[in-house]
Amino acid sequence: MPQGSSWHMPMPDNPSNKEAAMYLPDYYEFCCRVKTVAGHQALETIPDLLSDMGAQKPMIVTDQGVSGAGLVDTVMTAMAGKVTPGPVADDVPPDSDLRMVNGLASVYRENGCDAIIAVGGGSVLDTAKAVNILVSEGSDDLMAFTGANALKRKLKPLIAIPTTAGTGSEVTIVAVIADPDKRRKMLFTSPFLLPDAAVIDSRMTLTLPPHITAPTGMDALSHAVEAYTCLAKNPLSDAHALEAIELISTHLVNTVKNPGDRDGRLALATAATLAGIAFSNSMVGMVHTLGHSVGSVCHVPHGTCMAILLPYGLEYNMHKVEDRIAELLFPLAGSEVYASTRPHDRATAAISLIRKLNQDLFDATNGRHCTAFNQVKTPEGHPAVCSRDLEAIARTALGDGSIFYNPEELDFDDCMLVLSAAWDGTPLDRSKVKQG
Amino acid sequence: MEDFVEIKPGGAPLKRIYLNLMLWFVGRAVQAASKVDPAVRQEFDSMPMGFIFSLGAFPSGPWMVVEKDANGRVKYLGQRVKDRNIDLRMTLKSMDALLLLFTFQESTPVSNARNRLFVEGEVPHACTVVRILDMVQVYLLPKFIAKRAIKRYPRWSLKRHTLDRIQVNIRTLIGC
Repeated sequence: MPQGSSWHMPMPDNPSNKEAAMYLPDYYEFCCRVKTVAGHQALETIPDLLSDMGAQKPMIVTDQGVSGAGLVDTVMTAMAGKVTPGPVADDVPPDSDLRMVNGLASVYRENGCDAIIAVGGGSVLDTAKAVNILVSEGSDDLMAFTGANALKRKLKPLIAIPTTAGTGSEVTIVAVIADPDKRRKMLFTSPFLLPDAAVIDSRMTLTLPPHITAPTGMDALSHAVEAYTCLAKNPLSDAHALEAIELISTHLVNTVKNPGDRDGRLALATAATLAGIAFSNSMVGMVHTLGHSVGSVCHVPHGTCMAILLPYGLEYNMHKVEDRIAELLFPLAGSEVYASTRPHDRATAAISLIRKLNQDLFDATNGRHCTAFNQVKTPEGHPAVCSRDLEAIARTALGDGSIFYNPEELDFDDCMLVLSAAWDGTPLDRSKVKQG
Repeated sequence: MEDFVEIKPGGAPLKRIYLNLMLWFVGRAVQAASKVDPAVRQEFDSMPMGFIFSLGAFPSGPWMVVEKDANGRVKYLGQRVKDRNIDLRMTLKSMDALLLLFTFQESTPVSNARNRLFVEGEVPHACTVVRILDMVQVYLLPKFIAKRAIKRYPRWSLKRHTLDRIQVNIRTLIGC
């Protein structure tokens, strides 16, 4: 675990480390204009936030799990007497799709709403963003806005209240929506998808069970790690990513063991937001490329995919970005471990620590946190990912936009190599990774 | 806003000539490679019939436009984007950004990572087009330059590196 409350990277030991530590691209862009309100009593600011946006009748978008846990009631109580909310749409599924988005857009229009409050995890927040596209653009065709920068103007006011400390969607320019006909997740990226405000309140994650807290925390870690190691990294996203990694490394296992730890909850929620800011500005790579595809084909929760795939993605990219992976050891393990580890062992040590983190979470959740795809079960108890699914997953991965940002090329055979190892739960045989 | 006058960037005639030439060459090479290389052909097979994509610079080009026609044949359609129903537009933010790409100072992924490239259309198709362009660059460029343009120089068979490369280049020059 890291020591000290903030990290300061020691001076590099050799010229190659120096180059990596001072990475400064010729050109980069960074944008995060989301007003972030965070704390143990942050929800109470929502009426003022809505008032600042000129909104009076927000539609609440959420899912039944969040609604059933009483979290929407907590939000309603915080707004009571100051805001008259519109309808509460609480039927967003874990993998929201085009039909759901169109349905919710109709509800918004029929009720004359003028803003959206999204209360939930990644699927809810992304669904709210996609609904906002349709209601702001006056369209029924979400596919017309897929891809990068297809939106050209500001959307309706949107307040994001995350109930999982993982997705970071409250501060990202990204929305991912499934296209059930093509069994593919469609990516939408635009600065206009940034919510107007993110409200991070520890009450929203206090009831999250340990077996959900664990993979959502690993999801946030995967955002930060890929933001730091992939092609679009930049100094500003790096700063957010490293802080997020340290917070997660310090608090994740403790919070999974002590779910009522309010400070730990706030730390993890803050880490998820930091990681969201990081990856929103530097994007993510193959861990997400493959993870999105496992989610599309086999409906495995996103955080579980990220937890399983993260060490494999780093092993696969090691020959291209070893220095960057080595630097992760500092926020993951702290200054003493970093200093006492030989420079050429640091990258391997960082990957081992991430594997250990997964194992600790496996132990802390009595085996409910998966470390390999062959452990993942459907709600009915059947294997969620069969080895025969891997080819379909690999083919789907080749069409995922995050593949552009991975440092190393990834073809069908490469995907199969990584997926097979991640299914078995055995470390990647790096001698089989193609280098050109 | 309806009556605004679009100001087109002027100057830099040499850049424009160079880029026009490169796009013309690459567009014809895509057509040629689709006839010679099974892997390129396989990538096109995943596109719908009548699919048209373009690559160029904002706001006024130059461009290259390629179509997979109703019979599945791949054709370089030239540089005109106006009045065409283009399914996938891959646009560099400026002519300078396109120049970085076509002088091989930046690969397509790095250009994308630096927010110089924007895509209108379905992302899976953009991934396919990038893979096709990568293979075409390997055919057209010497290894030491191609390695700058793509993430990983492929280990192709000797036939692909020699006979197929000659075929692609000849077909590109004569336009068939």
